[in-house]
Amino acid sequence: MLEFYEPQADFGTPQSDSETMVTLSIDGVQVTVPEGSSVMRAASESGIKIPRLCATDSLKSFGSCRICLVEIEGRRGFPASCTTTVEAGMQVNTQSDEIGKLRRNVMELYISDHPLDCLTCPTNGDCELQDTAGEVGLRAVRYGFEGDNHLVAEKDESNPYFTFDPSKCIVCSRCVRACEETQGTFALTIDGRGFESKVSVGPADNFMDSDCVSCGACVDACPTATLTEKSIIDAGKPEHSVVTTCAYCGVGCSFKAEMKGNEVVRMTPYKDGKANEGHACVKGRFAFGYTTHKDRITKPMIRESIEDPWKEVSWDEAVTYTAKRFKDIQARHGRTSIGAISSSRCTNEEVYLVQKMVRTGFGNNNIDTCARVCHSPTGFGLKTTLGESAGTQTFASVAKADVIIVMGANPTEAHPVFGSRLKRRLREGAKLIVIDPRQIELVNAPHISADYHLPVRPGTNVTVLNALSHVIITEGLQAKDYIAERCETDDFDIWTKFISEERHSPENTEQYSGVPAHDLRAAARLYAQGGNGAIFYGLGVTEHSQGSTAVMAIANLAMLTGNIGREGVGVNPLRGQNNVQGACDMGSFPHELPGYRHISSKVTRALFEGEWGVTLDPEPGLRIPNMFDAAIDGDFKGLYCQGEDIAQSDPNTQHVEAALTALECLVVQDIFLNETAKFAHVFLPGASFLEKDGTFTNAERRISRVRRAMPPLSGKADWEGTMALANALGCNFKYDHPSEIMDEIARLTPTFTGVSYKKLDELGSIQWPCNDHTPAGTPVMHVDEFVRGKGFFAITEYIATEERANRKFPLLLTTGRILSQYNVGAQTRRTKNSEWHEEDTLEIHPHDAEERGINHGDWVGIQSRVGETVLHADVTSRVKPGVIYTTFHHPVSGANVITTDNSDWATNCPEFKVTAVQVSKVTAPSRWQARQKTFNTQQQQLLAKARH
Amino acid sequence: MNAKKIDRLVKMINQISLNMRSNGSEDLVVSQVSEHLEKFWSPAMKDLISEQEDNNVGLTPISQKAVIRLAAMQRAK
Repeated sequence: MLEFYEPQADFGTPQSDSETMVTLSIDGVQVTVPEGSSVMRAASESGIKIPRLCATDSLKSFGSCRICLVEIEGRRGFPASCTTTVEAGMQVNTQSDEIGKLRRNVMELYISDHPLDCLTCPTNGDCELQDTAGEVGLRAVRYGFEGDNHLVAEKDESNPYFTFDPSKCIVCSRCVRACEETQGTFALTIDGRGFESKVSVGPADNFMDSDCVSCGACVDACPTATLTEKSIIDAGKPEHSVVTTCAYCGVGCSFKAEMKGNEVVRMTPYKDGKANEGHACVKGRFAFGYTTHKDRITKPMIRESIEDPWKEVSWDEAVTYTAKRFKDIQARHGRTSIGAISSSRCTNEEVYLVQKMVRTGFGNNNIDTCARVCHSPTGFGLKTTLGESAGTQTFASVAKADVIIVMGANPTEAHPVFGSRLKRRLREGAKLIVIDPRQIELVNAPHISADYHLPVRPGTNVTVLNALSHVIITEGLQAKDYIAERCETDDFDIWTKFISEERHSPENTEQYSGVPAHDLRAAARLYAQGGNGAIFYGLGVTEHSQGSTAVMAIANLAMLTGNIGREGVGVNPLRGQNNVQGACDMGSFPHELPGYRHISSKVTRALFEGEWGVTLDPEPGLRIPNMFDAAIDGDFKGLYCQGEDIAQSDPNTQHVEAALTALECLVVQDIFLNETAKFAHVFLPGASFLEKDGTFTNAERRISRVRRAMPPLSGKADWEGTMALANALGCNFKYDHPSEIMDEIARLTPTFTGVSYKKLDELGSIQWPCNDHTPAGTPVMHVDEFVRGKGFFAITEYIATEERANRKFPLLLTTGRILSQYNVGAQTRRTKNSEWHEEDTLEIHPHDAEERGINHGDWVGIQSRVGETVLHADVTSRVKPGVIYTTFHHPVSGANVITTDNSDWATNCPEFKVTAVQVSKVTAPSRWQARQKTFNTQQQQLLAKARH
Repeated sequence: MNAKKIDRLVKMINQISLNMRSNGSEDLVVSQVSEHLEKFWSPAMKDLISEQEDNNVGLTPISQKAVIRLAAMQRAK
């Protein structure tokens, strides 16, 4: 997929999805295309390019530029080919003397108000206006350049990633339409009429102060140099590109990494990528600068204690040192005294190798992954009810949904490219139910308004879900035939009795959830009767002490209404990080081998033992919270942590720090000295996604290739680092390329038997299961039957969390993410994305703020039962009274200093979303923050000594 | 040290039992809780709590029965 740089193919107008075909003649060539196609599209598909300026295939045809005129036999005049639909037998001519003259005349007018600086223009050689002038044969501009023009219009350079140069604008409206149709933000408009027409950022003075979310759709759509990436202005046109997969959220967007030598000069959303279909967000599109940031650590380092300076060493010395320390610990404290944590940011092949190293090299099953703290309840809940630990749909499936429930998720911030798809469907008329304590953007956005917002009190999701099912059952709205055919009927009868109890009625649950009964009843009726019902949920569902119960309740609701097993419906967990699904698939949990098969199964173990040549421990290992507890207890002494910053991301920071401090040997593999690495004894330099080959699996179960665009700065990709460590421990890992690791995964995992790099290159991406039964993958799961056979209605008793608000801690804190930053911020904080979010703030409702004398921008202390931190207040009615909210993107914020050890009953996923707190006005940072600052300074100095 | 460890395990088991309590008969719930522990807990955790099968460490009645069943499963290995 390495290729010379070429702009991506553009067919002018969108593809028609009609199955009826129409045959017409274009320039004497017979062309057959789907009904509803434009003449321009039909011509493009048959290799005939009609010049155009205002048309691009990601946007509906507009018909304003008058360049794409054609002749059609039997029709008067010169219709625009972009807005003319094909008809059977139509005879089209795209070239004639008269057409050529008309096009040149139009082009002449455009160029008469356009700077003639092509040779010094940043898009020289990559400009549709320039190309089109060439295509129509423009040779002169008769009007001169002395008249009124826009050539001195002032540039807007406020956005950190792109400039807006109105002097080059031809007012084709592509940017405005991209903002509306593709992104759904409606930040841009055309102001004025006639000569005064200009692109405007609404009432704002510039892009940065406007509603623009910097997704880059307008930049992609611009046919001139009006909207241009600053990286291109600085570096010039790319010379080659590599198709790869974004390393940010679980949407898994496909990108072309556009390169000059080993330098990325632009990331362009790849139109053939099925997860994103040519769209992007501010993170994937622009925030790649961290990959070459000066903070990157590119040499292995070791030290005896965390008070010692780091010492740079060779890879051999680092892995030999680590192996010696780990073996020594095991000799003194036993085989199970060490373990590892793998990362959802790493590739499938890398997480597979880490768990293989633990099970074969460490000789135990102490392997866990960061999904423990996000979607482990999804694994448990969906496996129990449906039989597979994965979402059921494609993202594109939402285009066929009629009623959409978004629960505990904020797609426009955390999964923005999917959020745009969702908004498009809502603008087309789908109904929306939002279940969330906060008024997320989807509740009320331009041209979108939730039909019902159920503002659930944090910690009471299960009562709302049970009440929705209660209404459906007691009002007889369930899908009786579907349930009878597809589900365990005996268990359904037991569940029906349970859910019909009056205690689950909306009128009763309102006292717990705060959700008005009449709204909840109406929402239940809408979901049950509104056509295709699709549920999308996030960490606001899973990160609770009843997270697994809530996931099962969601599956119950979908089965109850027959909303699983076809397009437009389903249960869809929105995964936070890029490879959460893949990390889980690859056997990263301590009780499961790859493919979600329990370690106690003799048959499964025998399969792996045969391939790996070792005897496997049949007992589950430690989960992450168990590792921390065991470390503090003195039973767990060594940890290998790849690509995860547990000191910042896990709850009860002081507990985590105590655990890390208690370790004899902490090995961190990362691209930066993250918060966890400050407690480490060995640092193995990681590779960014641009530096390695592999695969990521997104929230749709879509396996996509990650392709190396530049060499690893440390000399090794992460899988090579793990392999070196494993072999130093006595393993015999021999892989020359990650494709060989995938081949091994395919040999051992029934849902992956058909997956190979060759097939991924052929198909672009594959949604597992992919095997002999489904050689091209499985877009929609559970079509004819559930993976477990019959669907299981689990009893979902609501057990309130032990974390209760009281007089001392009267408010409930919930946490989340923001668009411009990603997770612990290690990547995005090292980009210009910080211009949008340079610190985490505390959202507090005006009533709660007033009671405490807090004004917008004040320093406020947030005290919980386990800790205290200080943030600036953001007084806003986005949160309801009694609930406060913050993000956790900056280490100094200490959001997790206040979150507790409470966790999901089934999986120990932490209860990040409910912490009882008090808030008060303060004047100084907390004691933890002061300590953190001192510790950070000390560790940075110890790092500096290694580098000099 | 062991008391603290046991307290932690007791809290976890009682939480599991509470969340499973409506799943069916007491025998079914006891069975499900013990199977959950067997399936997801490490050997050290299982051994430590199994040692408490006859002790009053704060387990709810269902949890106590689940631990007795778990201990029997451990002995049978």
